[in-house]
Amino acid sequence: MKVLVINAGSSSLKYQLYDMTDESVLVKGRVERIGMDSSIIVHEPTNGEEISIVNEILDHVTAVKRVVDLIVHSDHGVIDSMDEIKAVGHRIVHGGEVFKNSVLVTPEVKQEIIRLFDLAPLHNPAHMMGINAAEAIMPNIPQVVVFDTAFHQTMPNTSYLYAIPTVLYRKHKIRRYGFHGTSHDYVSEQAAQFLGQPLESLNMISCHIGNGASITAIKEGKSFDTSMGMTPLEGLMMGTRSGDLDPAIVPFVMNKEELTLNEVNSMLNKHSGLLAISGNSSDMREVTEAMQEGDKNAKLAFDMYAYRIKKYIGAYAAAMNGFDTLIFTAGVGENSFALRQSVCEGLTFLGIEIDAEKNAKREKGIRLISKKSSRIKVLVVPTNEELLIARDTYRLVSAEA
Amino acid sequence: MIIRKVGVIGIGTMGQGIAIMLASKGLEVYAVDSSAEALSNGMEMIEVNLDKQIEKWAITSTEKKLVMNRIHPLQGFEELSQCDLVIETVTEDLDIKMDVFQKIDRICRKEVILASNTSTLSLTELASATNNPDRVIGAHFIYPVGSVDLVEIVRGLKTSEETFERTKDFVENIIQKKGIMVFESPGFVTSRLICLLINEALHVLEEGVATVDDIDTSMRVGYSFQRGPFEMADRFGLDSVLAALERMFREYGEIKYRPSIVLKKMVRAGQLGVKTGEGFFKYDKDGDRIE
Repeated sequence: MKVLVINAGSSSLKYQLYDMTDESVLVKGRVERIGMDSSIIVHEPTNGEEISIVNEILDHVTAVKRVVDLIVHSDHGVIDSMDEIKAVGHRIVHGGEVFKNSVLVTPEVKQEIIRLFDLAPLHNPAHMMGINAAEAIMPNIPQVVVFDTAFHQTMPNTSYLYAIPTVLYRKHKIRRYGFHGTSHDYVSEQAAQFLGQPLESLNMISCHIGNGASITAIKEGKSFDTSMGMTPLEGLMMGTRSGDLDPAIVPFVMNKEELTLNEVNSMLNKHSGLLAISGNSSDMREVTEAMQEGDKNAKLAFDMYAYRIKKYIGAYAAAMNGFDTLIFTAGVGENSFALRQSVCEGLTFLGIEIDAEKNAKREKGIRLISKKSSRIKVLVVPTNEELLIARDTYRLVSAEA
Repeated sequence: MIIRKVGVIGIGTMGQGIAIMLASKGLEVYAVDSSAEALSNGMEMIEVNLDKQIEKWAITSTEKKLVMNRIHPLQGFEELSQCDLVIETVTEDLDIKMDVFQKIDRICRKEVILASNTSTLSLTELASATNNPDRVIGAHFIYPVGSVDLVEIVRGLKTSEETFERTKDFVENIIQKKGIMVFESPGFVTSRLICLLINEALHVLEEGVATVDDIDTSMRVGYSFQRGPFEMADRFGLDSVLAALERMFREYGEIKYRPSIVLKKMVRAGQLGVKTGEGFFKYDKDGDRIE
């Protein structure tokens, strides 16, 4: 059975076609600059040549049409007919409190996603365009939606409520939702399998450190607390996002610098984090390099970044009364051994002993980087959100059939 | 019809602001002005404006590049034929504007809406320069365009219902501003009310009731105005305020619109507000007040 995974943005669309008999990727690609006369499709078949095509793609329906055409193309295609695609899985950023799991798309489900536009104004409307486009091009193929927030719906209210007037929660659903759920879910399962222990028997802390970064306390296989909040701004310091700060700073700065809401929002989301402290880059690789060349600001940025991860690990260790597995994943988490080293150093009191040699080795795949004697197992687990979307889609559609 | 390409005619202060705002919303902007000099000056000011936004953390340098790439300066009207909407922002002069409307009416496709950013002129009169007055409408943006989310959508006598609905849809759903419906009348709603407030503040000053500073403070602190009437006047330009008052005085014939003597005197002295560095208050070259 072939499953198409779609991640639709407002002017982009990423796709992967899976063969679920062996979970292999047949082709992946992306459409960029949707809405312009010079849109680009980059199409990368696993066993074929990468091609890129520039032409006019004005909307998501055309984008999906072009993608399907390429997938069944006589030269660049990977399957013979569109009928081989048995299901489409979509990534959706915000599932609110309604969606605790992935679900099949129905008119009611679409209504709910539209109702959530308010909470994710940048993402959900774009995802909706992706769903409608897939429906228009492949009308009889079942679709599944997989939510970034769903995994965190198991959090207790002591974790997800903010200590502000409860009327705000009742009226506007202001609470912690958390993000990167698909990733935290996937890597925790992978880790349990790797360790050969049932997921329910483990308490884990997973650090998804990419351009956006979040950290989750996973108690007996379920999300217990997570660092991102109502929006992806809270928690860790990130590439360009501030992460945690005293909320009183916002009105204070608005007043002192005469900033509008948009300006202060943009400041915290796009002009803060590593970029603000290092003064030149939001990219961990560049910051690390600059630090090694002796740049003091880069070193401060790196140290603050690592320190905040460490602080959260301590907090979540306390929240779960101890834990047994620490996971690093996503771009920075999987690749920056310097960061992993810096975070883990000084956590020996918790029982974390990192093996410097194993940590520094560049390898693909899931791997253990702690010493044998370490009470807490430290793992690097490559994330694969698309695969989890494909799996959920496959599972739901098979159950329906 | 999906609106993707928008023509902006006149690249002065308002034209620049409108072009930046449209491009930030992902639209392709064709900015037209009569001379090469005006065009390059306008594009330069657009860049200065975007740099200021970066300084205020409003945008990133990548976003600046994206916006600049979407604004295409043009010296002639011909290429406006590919636009899905045209907004005119040339000098507030009836003859100049009528000439522009006559030209674009010939160039633009029949279903394209022709909007004017006029704050005081008659849309009905502007529309009379065209063969299709039903597609002419007013879209009065307020300075600074980027941060004021209001547009007065002004209906001339012959503006069609469809033109109005499509303009309102564009304003509210594409550029996400609040659109209010106004039937043509001198000064519409915004200029009529704000110019009267400024004029009355001038009378209060002339009568020696209170100082410039105290009058501004009373409105700012007392009634949550972001700026008091004198600072507002300085920012609009005292010449523009005077011109608007004179036009309303002529049109309505009512004494309450008669411009204050102090205002006339200051305009005659060339003390026009922010743009000359001095009005009721003093300003630096960035337009910030010098205490």
